[in-house]
Amino acid sequence: MPSHNILGTSEPHQDELELRRSSALRMGGETKLAKRREKGILDARQRIDRLLDPDSFQEVGLLSTSVMPQDRAQTPADGKIAGYGRIENREVAVVSNDFTVKGASSSATNGKKIGHIKRVATERGIPIVFLGESSGARMPDTMGARGMGTMLGSDPTQYLRMRETPWAAAVLGDCYGSSTWYTCCSDFAVMRKGAVLAVSSPGLVEQALSETVDPQTLGGWQLHAETTGLVDRVVDTDEEALAAIRTFLSYMPSHQAEAPPRAEPTDPGASAAQIAKLIPPRRTQVYDVRKIIAALVDQDSQFEMKPQFGKVAVTTLARLDGQVVGIIANNPLFKGGALDTDACEKITSFIVLCDSFNIPLILLVDTPGFSIGPEAERRRAPGKIMNFMNALSLCTVPKLSVILRKSYGQAYLNMGGGRNSDEVAAWPGAEISFMDPHFAVRIVHGHQSDSPEFAEALSEMERDNSVYGIAEIFGVQAVIRPEETRDHLIRLLGVHQLRRTNGVGEHLMRAWPTSY
Amino acid sequence: MAKLQAKSEVSGSVWKIETAIGQKVAEGDTIMLIESMKMEIPVVVESAGTVTQILVAEGDAVVEGQTVAILDT
Repeated sequence: MPSHNILGTSEPHQDELELRRSSALRMGGETKLAKRREKGILDARQRIDRLLDPDSFQEVGLLSTSVMPQDRAQTPADGKIAGYGRIENREVAVVSNDFTVKGASSSATNGKKIGHIKRVATERGIPIVFLGESSGARMPDTMGARGMGTMLGSDPTQYLRMRETPWAAAVLGDCYGSSTWYTCCSDFAVMRKGAVLAVSSPGLVEQALSETVDPQTLGGWQLHAETTGLVDRVVDTDEEALAAIRTFLSYMPSHQAEAPPRAEPTDPGASAAQIAKLIPPRRTQVYDVRKIIAALVDQDSQFEMKPQFGKVAVTTLARLDGQVVGIIANNPLFKGGALDTDACEKITSFIVLCDSFNIPLILLVDTPGFSIGPEAERRRAPGKIMNFMNALSLCTVPKLSVILRKSYGQAYLNMGGGRNSDEVAAWPGAEISFMDPHFAVRIVHGHQSDSPEFAEALSEMERDNSVYGIAEIFGVQAVIRPEETRDHLIRLLGVHQLRRTNGVGEHLMRAWPTSY
Repeated sequence: MAKLQAKSEVSGSVWKIETAIGQKVAEGDTIMLIESMKMEIPVVVESAGTVTQILVAEGDAVVEGQTVAILDT
């Protein structure tokens, strides 16, 4: 005897399954879906479709709903769609927030679903992709002590991150609550312009603080790309965000116990002979180090992280002869290359990423030192410099450094000088010293620059500034010409590969913070 | 027409002013060089426009974020 199904009609058993499946696939209904289409915004299932290789999505929890009896019929997939799929034929796990269903709010059932995905992905060595657009914890279900106890806090590992596998997140709409948390816990975050990433909505801010704030001011792309650095890349469309995630994952291993995938080697986009011409004639002039990087790495292989944040440093994934590397470079174009606290934080974050996923580091050095002064101190420069130094010291992936021009003071160490990288090379024009000789004369002797004793004291301080002074005492392992740099790095990557452990490091920073 | 503030990205001193009031500049042009950490740091214009005010003189000290010139864009 057929019983009544969720829709209140009597259907035979097999058709009930079909009814439930097709009902769940309709998400929040055609009206809401049409509104999104008009705005050119993808829905949760379209996003999964575009993200993954065709026909590879295996859903979990299609038929899940709210635990609240009165909401069962209005909560297809309980507002968060999850499952497994493939990207470039490698398994990934995905959570896609369905904003058309109660704002994709977090609840008991979808919490279990995410927990399941995390457990499987972590145990089986699969990256996780979070497609964010959610309104936070479900209201009113989460209100009150009983509501809180039911809905939140049941999983002590909910926001635990040990970097067993890479996580990538997209901010694709209003993100409050879980979408924001998972974005901050991820290794890569891409944001679509117009989306919002914040702790709480402008509506709540207005009530709690009596402050009216525009959503873009509160958590828009410009804030996160330039000021907070919480977002690695900014794009114009959902499709571009999904493509960025696919690209990021192509540099990553599936899990921390394997080396990153190798690609077909290609030559650089610019000729090696051009490199030397990119350094300006006067040592006080600036240039854009990204042009030098482009002449060193495989063509079109650069994938820069946080390009608008901490611009004094460039942190970019790239390939050398098909092998993934993480490049950290000082960019004299900004602040003359003097490292400020934003740059230190960006570099620290990048070191943790590369070291956790077995990606060798290349450090390209041209810095007059750390940025100093009251503003730097207010921004906790000493602490940031030491976090950076600590991170570099804890690396167990190969570290190769090349001193292009200046390397001064503590920054000499932070950028891999001495034994802080595995092999140090320097270009013939490299200048290495503790501080600029003009400053040193004043500090040591007290002479003013227009005094007669200054010139003699200056030439004393400039003694042994030449790179051959450090080469003679084996303080650098090689002096190389700019056009020799690419081959030099490729050769040494080959020597320094972690052959005793199949390319896998010790991951001493796997539990370091996920944002700085 | 909008007013664009050109700012110094570093604390240091004004080394060379490479523009004049009334000059038309293109996006990416350098209008001033600031000396900091013994480096020549360019003040680069973010969009094309005309320089209407130069707020500093060569030799003046500047702080990070200080507006050094105003342009009509």
